Amino acid sequence: MVNATKGVFISCDIPMAQYIINMNASLPASDKFIIHILDSTHMFVQPHVELMIRSQIAKFREDNTYVKPS
Amino acid sequence: MGHGEKRPFKKFKGSSSKFEDPRKGFADDDDAYGGDDPYDDDDGKTKDFSKLELKPDHPNRPLWACDNGRIFLETFSPLYKQAYDFLIAIAEPVCRPESMHEYNLTPHSLYAAVSVGLETETIISVLNKLSKTKLPKEMIKFIHDSTANYGKVKLVLKKNRYFVESPFPEVLKTLLRDDGISRARITSEGMHGDGFTITKAAGEIEGTHDELLNEAEVAAAAEEKEAHAFEIDPSQVENVKQRCLPNALNYPMLEEYDFRNDTVNPDLEMELKPQAQPRPYQEKSLSKMFGNGRARSGIIVLPCGAGKSLVGVSAACRIKKSCLCLATNAVSVDQWAFQFKLWSTIREEQICRFTSDSKERFRGNAGVVVTTYNMVAFGGKRSEESEKIIEEIRNREWGLLLMDEVHVVPAHMFRKVISITKSHCKLGLTATLVREDERITDLNFLIGPKLYEANWLDLVKGGFIANVQCAEVWCPMTKEFFAEYLKKENSKKRQALYVMNPNKFRACEFLINYHERARGDKIIVFADNLFALTEYAMKLRKPMIYGATSHVERTKILQAFKTSKDVNTIFLSKVGDNSIDIPEANVIIQISSHAGSRRQEAQRLGRILRAKGKLQDRMAGGKEEYNAFFYSLVSTDTQEMYYSTKRQQFLIDQGYSFKVITSLPPSDEGSRLNYHHLEDQLSLLGKVLNAGDDAVGLEQLEEDSDELALRSARRSQASMSAMSGAKGMVYMEYSTGRKGQAQIKSKPKDPAKRHFLFKRRYGPT
Repeated sequence: MVNATKGVFISCDIPMAQYIINMNASLPASDKFIIHILDSTHMFVQPHVELMIRSQIAKFREDNTYVKPS
Repeated sequence: MGHGEKRPFKKFKGSSSKFEDPRKGFADDDDAYGGDDPYDDDDGKTKDFSKLELKPDHPNRPLWACDNGRIFLETFSPLYKQAYDFLIAIAEPVCRPESMHEYNLTPHSLYAAVSVGLETETIISVLNKLSKTKLPKEMIKFIHDSTANYGKVKLVLKKNRYFVESPFPEVLKTLLRDDGISRARITSEGMHGDGFTITKAAGEIEGTHDELLNEAEVAAAAEEKEAHAFEIDPSQVENVKQRCLPNALNYPMLEEYDFRNDTVNPDLEMELKPQAQPRPYQEKSLSKMFGNGRARSGIIVLPCGAGKSLVGVSAACRIKKSCLCLATNAVSVDQWAFQFKLWSTIREEQICRFTSDSKERFRGNAGVVVTTYNMVAFGGKRSEESEKIIEEIRNREWGLLLMDEVHVVPAHMFRKVISITKSHCKLGLTATLVREDERITDLNFLIGPKLYEANWLDLVKGGFIANVQCAEVWCPMTKEFFAEYLKKENSKKRQALYVMNPNKFRACEFLINYHERARGDKIIVFADNLFALTEYAMKLRKPMIYGATSHVERTKILQAFKTSKDVNTIFLSKVGDNSIDIPEANVIIQISSHAGSRRQEAQRLGRILRAKGKLQDRMAGGKEEYNAFFYSLVSTDTQEMYYSTKRQQFLIDQGYSFKVITSLPPSDEGSRLNYHHLEDQLSLLGKVLNAGDDAVGLEQLEEDSDELALRSARRSQASMSAMSGAKGMVYMEYSTGRKGQAQIKSKPKDPAKRHFLFKRRYGPT
């Protein structure tokens, strides 16, 4: 029986994939969003989390960036 | 810029999320830039100077003067050299890239300017001549205000007693109204009224209040022939000086030593040897110090490897009085003693070293003593022998107090040293006036204003220091290491994880192989993290030196590195940051570092700045334009990126640019390097995770009475501040108490604070 699920396909580099997996792991079971990890740079996730992932990653990168205060 | 692929600043992407401290478990040095700059206003509109009036012949003039005190200098102008010499005397350099320099006028920098002999009117008229725009009124007023009171008060050392001297008794009274100063005053008996000691050419008279006032006019006319003075407590000298600085009473004290006419202290026979040819910038810094035939106290800033010791020795040779030279550790004591013998005609028995190992004493009535800050400031019980020497140091009136590496010595040590030793003139030498604690402005009253600061890029162009290619190598984290890095329970091991990142190891190994084999270079690898240092060194089978390495072993390794063809790479922990002199090295690979310390970065770069090879090869366009390489290996997507950018700021302000390299090691090299296989990487990961938290942390140097400076200043993580008065336009300090505030400052992404140019671009947020 074929089961069709709507989702978002994510393609990213290895560390970011790990970041998303780690993010997923830190959530309670009911909020887990990864449907399937395809390989180390691709995964398939629930459609509603896209924005959340984007903003989390943006924040993560921001934290690792030093900007000289003016 | 001359080199197309380089970028002066690194900015990643602009977004507006707030900044949370990503550095949990790390010592955070919460210094930040900007800060309580009287002009600094984040609102871009106050930086709109389009209203300033351009002079008709503006293309011929080299600089822009803005009414917020900022001055911009075009380095491609034919008048650059003259303008630079002038600006460096009156203003604080903020940032000096290749084509455009930024300077800032501050009360302290103007104080330094007048102290090297520039007059208020000269400053204004020269500035006006050089400026493309009419000088803003605010700036003229600011210069007037800052310089008006300068030179009215002098601090004089006479027969081992300190006097505050001024031709204007009313000025002295103003000073005495200050609590701190009046407390420091020593009133000797037999004085009546407000009586100051008055010295006339003929002798001493004592007078009452009224007489003094009348004599004020006479005094003004007679200038130095008649001076009113009161004595102050030697232990309070520093306080008094501090009270007189521009930010307090604003009567900055002039400290000059008329050494030619000093007949009390015996002369020391020493001359520069004829082969000692000071370079132009060394001459210039000395001329700032001896501008009017007297010696001024102050600080001279020259990059590492640019010949600071020759400046120090030359200064001692000009003054020709007893000289006390202070260094940070026993090794540099030996180096200084050697430099004195190398450059000057001083006789062997007139120079002596005073360290815990060698306690020499000079014969005759004048000489040079080289010692460490610690030996002088040491508070505990001394051996009988040292006690005698210290007593001698204490009782002597020194002509020159020469202080090396003033940026590393904690201020309380300075205080001690200065209260113990009495000197007519103090000269501080340093390469990096940046420091991680808040004490750097103290140097202003402990030593004096900054007399000269060289421009690194000009020295590079002149071939005086090596032309260094700086590169930041981006090493992506491997999957497994990054997964562990992200886990909350590993927060204490984060540093170890990004330092031990196999990709970083491989990049490091590749660079070592490349430079050893293809170029025959001598390489230093720096790692602050002791765990990483040992792992790397063992795996690559290279010698290493860290805090616990014995002196004998150190010497052996360094000797092998210098002479042997087989030892081309050594691993150093932070002990190598500034005390070890290795002129042979020309490549630095940095695999881990002390958080965001700008000074460490600059000091490490300094290890390879000493110029090598023939001069013509080094000049721009020569055979080897770059002859030294500085690699900083950074694991991407980790905190290290943040630190790395921050650490580079000092060098970027000196005009250096960092090239980013992303593809190391090249893929065809892959299998020849270590950790090519996943199993190896996993076993390394296991090792990192199994190591105790303390083992993977930063190296803690043991307290070594002679190497205290190494341990202390660099490790204090409070904050920092700019020196020689830049009231920190560039390097601002925040004490831990104001941590919250500092955090706010480091959230520049707050949309409300965005520069107005960007505001426009991002639209109203």
